Amino acid sequence: MKFIRPNDMEGLFQNMEENNDRRYFLAGGTDINVQIKNGVIKNAEIIYIKHLKELNGIQIVKDDIVIGAVTNITEILNSKIIKENLPFFQRSLESFASPLLQTSATIGGNIANGSPTADVVPLLLVLDAKLEIVSKTQTRIIELNNFFTGYKTNIMKTNELIRSIIIPRKAENGFDTYFEKVGSRKSLMISKVTLAGLKNISHSKFTTVKLAVGSLNEYPRRLYKIEEYLTDKSLIEINFLKVEELLNEEITPITDLRSDKEYRYHVCVNLIRTFLNE
Amino acid sequence: MKSIRKIDAIPKLNGSWKFLDDYSYEEMIHGQLLYSTCHHGTIKKIHFPDGYNLSEFTVVSAANIPGENIVPEPVCDQPYMADKEVFHFGQVIMGIAHPNRKLLREFIRKIKIEYEELPAIIDIKECLENEDNVFGKELIIDHRTGRKPDPNWIHHHKIYYTPHQEQAYLEPQGMIAVWQPKEKIMFVRATCQCPFFVKEGVETIMGSAIKEAVIETSEGIGGAFGGKEDFPSLLAGITSLLSYKSGKPVKIVLEREDDIQITTKRHPARIEIETWTDPETRKIMKIYIDYRLDAGAYQTLSPVVLARGVLHAISGYSIPDAYIRGRLFRSNTPSNGAFRGFGAPQAFAAMEAHVESIAADMNINPYKFRRKNIFRIGNEFPTTQPILENNLSDCLERVIEKSNYLQKLEEFKEWNKTHKDKKGIGISIGYHGGGYTGNGEKVLNSEVKVVIEKDATVKIYVANTDMGQGAHTTLAQMFFEAIDHPREKCLVQLPNTSKTPNSGPTVASRTIYIIGNLLRRFALKIKDELGFENLDDYVSSNQNEFPREFRMKFVQDPSVVFDEENYVGVAYKDYSWAACVTEIYFHADTYQIELTKSWNVIDIGKVVNQKIAVGQAEGGILQGLAYGLCEFFYKAGYGRMHGFSDYALPTTMDLPEIDVEFIHTDSPIAKGLGEIPMDFPAPSVRNAFHNATGIFIDEYPLVPERIFKSLTADERR
Repeated sequence: MKFIRPNDMEGLFQNMEENNDRRYFLAGGTDINVQIKNGVIKNAEIIYIKHLKELNGIQIVKDDIVIGAVTNITEILNSKIIKENLPFFQRSLESFASPLLQTSATIGGNIANGSPTADVVPLLLVLDAKLEIVSKTQTRIIELNNFFTGYKTNIMKTNELIRSIIIPRKAENGFDTYFEKVGSRKSLMISKVTLAGLKNISHSKFTTVKLAVGSLNEYPRRLYKIEEYLTDKSLIEINFLKVEELLNEEITPITDLRSDKEYRYHVCVNLIRTFLNE
Repeated sequence: MKSIRKIDAIPKLNGSWKFLDDYSYEEMIHGQLLYSTCHHGTIKKIHFPDGYNLSEFTVVSAANIPGENIVPEPVCDQPYMADKEVFHFGQVIMGIAHPNRKLLREFIRKIKIEYEELPAIIDIKECLENEDNVFGKELIIDHRTGRKPDPNWIHHHKIYYTPHQEQAYLEPQGMIAVWQPKEKIMFVRATCQCPFFVKEGVETIMGSAIKEAVIETSEGIGGAFGGKEDFPSLLAGITSLLSYKSGKPVKIVLEREDDIQITTKRHPARIEIETWTDPETRKIMKIYIDYRLDAGAYQTLSPVVLARGVLHAISGYSIPDAYIRGRLFRSNTPSNGAFRGFGAPQAFAAMEAHVESIAADMNINPYKFRRKNIFRIGNEFPTTQPILENNLSDCLERVIEKSNYLQKLEEFKEWNKTHKDKKGIGISIGYHGGGYTGNGEKVLNSEVKVVIEKDATVKIYVANTDMGQGAHTTLAQMFFEAIDHPREKCLVQLPNTSKTPNSGPTVASRTIYIIGNLLRRFALKIKDELGFENLDDYVSSNQNEFPREFRMKFVQDPSVVFDEENYVGVAYKDYSWAACVTEIYFHADTYQIELTKSWNVIDIGKVVNQKIAVGQAEGGILQGLAYGLCEFFYKAGYGRMHGFSDYALPTTMDLPEIDVEFIHTDSPIAKGLGEIPMDFPAPSVRNAFHNATGIFIDEYPLVPERIFKSLTADERR
């Protein structure tokens, strides 16, 4: 194991010029430390980044809220900027892990770790978040929705890292919001099903619907087919059998030690129904 | 009733209280256990990894044991370490030690063992449904009258299942052994409930290689709940052997994952009940109970759990005609062992569900049906032990009254008519016999010792450990309150088998009930013998008499006579009683039960320390509710859990409002408190769920996946 603590961004980039698929960035450590202890990560190059100020903090930049990748969940929960602009996002994060882990776990880490159960991702997906991905020579901005490529895999090269998460300042404006994280207890739990939703209604028709789920696929994702089906329909025009059929196409829940696929699927159906009815 | 502060409260807050892993000895090395990952098989070869200097490691196996390779238990059938054949996953094969803890862990992880696999039973139902898997002695309580059921009596026949439960003590199992070759003494520092069990465990494995084992507990014992009753004997044996072979102090602290996977759990149970109820009198007239436990690969202490299980199987109901059989079933899983409640929670799970079903079928209010059948003076247990008090009934009446049960039944019924989500309210009752079963306390022959120093400090020597439950505070309190001595001059000493007489293990709700009451009588006896009014004054005017040692033995009440062959007689002299009403909120979207309020009325007789007693009750009640609600350890097809991210221990966020009231506190006797809070609450969750939805679930826990299955099965019907 090799441990590096760069002094600044320049030092960071110097250390990541070469591609190295055993490179890990350490910030809060709530996932990586466990993987090191379990021997899942070994003989790796660990670069510590939590102290780098360019990666920290919450700012308003024009029409966006920009959250540094290593900003921890407590900082987001306590942020005035988030409270004023993205109150639904802030409120929903209260169910993230536990108060203790919130002080350590970072928003960028939760995304980059790529768990199908990542708590922040369904929320960020319905808020149309983008990621600022940087390397020594390049900065690119991509939609979070295009970030994941499979179970714990993403489009980043090993000489890149997430610098910030960009959320449109008005992402929640005018929407009815919905968030439900379902697990085996109220705190410190890994979700069995997560649903985040935004909707607005005009003349009793859904003009916009945004839905994202976690723990039901290899990575959290938007339910575009259902969104499309629901748009411009009123509640009575919706055929819920059709919604269930589309959901079946969009999710691939599994049975494991924690839960059963039938349960996960039906809970998701129920949550969508409640989201639309409320 | 004085709520004096626990002696360990401040040192635990400031971190100065020492737990096992806080101790260190010069030249100490670290040990770990190498255990089987095969459920049943013969060991063909063990491959140590390359790249390590094997001479740095100390390795012990069955072949190195100078004494006997059988852990002393009620049934001696479990080896410390497997010889050629392993009978379950998690069976210890070797103890290995090295100066570097991290390197040791890495080394052990890389060891490969080749097995020739043999047939294994790992599924709980596969184990409990097949009567070919029975082992050990069948227990029978036969209280049949020979009367045939009347044709109009209503027959109910159901099978109930309960799962494993993990003790989840904060501090994992740990042990330090320090071999002293000159004196031939094996000194062991233990986090355990029963120092004298550990002593026997070390002396058995070491045989004549040592003169004596001396066990002293760590200052702090970070929880146990039964989990540190018998496993420490095995662990201490292997740690001692490593110290003996290496000549160095050896410390083993189990990794949490290993602790969860290989140590004892609560026994899963299958309990089949048949009853015949008279529709006229609404009384249960006849019962048959088949009580089965999955013991794991060895019997160890399971027969004692089985005994308590059958003795509590009928719950608190007077049934004239009863036949109860109890049997242990073998599986290829680690031996199940002691856990707060010790067979009783399984018993109440079944019987408290069963009476609820009968009441529902006969369209009788569950409270009124219970009231009709509950124990009263003049009734008897199936063992013929007479019921001498109406305290169980008093608990039920009080909890019904204070929870406003009858009114809420109506309110919830109305509310549920117009809501997708549902509210429910459920009852359960329970009791726990204090101390060892039957003649056990006579056999234990417990002794306590007190030394009064020249400054009138009283040092109390008992083998009972304080594992966070406050025993050392409360035991001292019982002594100094009896003679009105200042609290700071009365201290329980750290249990050490060379200084402390054997006052028995810290189990079976016996610590305050047997040892505490003994200390209270002891204090009064010393006062009487010396003839003092004030101990301080007496000691200062009779300095030449001190320091002075006093000893006293527990004498069992002569009314306690139990026929262990036929299960007839007085099984426990005193019982603690309890009743519970729990309110739930059922979330229709997610099939989750949320606990909203739990009302509990408990009779433990005299309450020595109100705050400690309430704390014990609240903790046990949450543990009990979670047993019914969310905790499971094994899933068919997916195996056993590895840690707390999957094993759903409730958090404080899941805690409902818990109301605890003690009644009949004017009793002169402080009865057992340790286990009863765990025994009775779980069935109330299930009964409340039935009240909310009309659906019975006959298997714990009521996780949403199980509820979903039973709801959709119901819709299909």
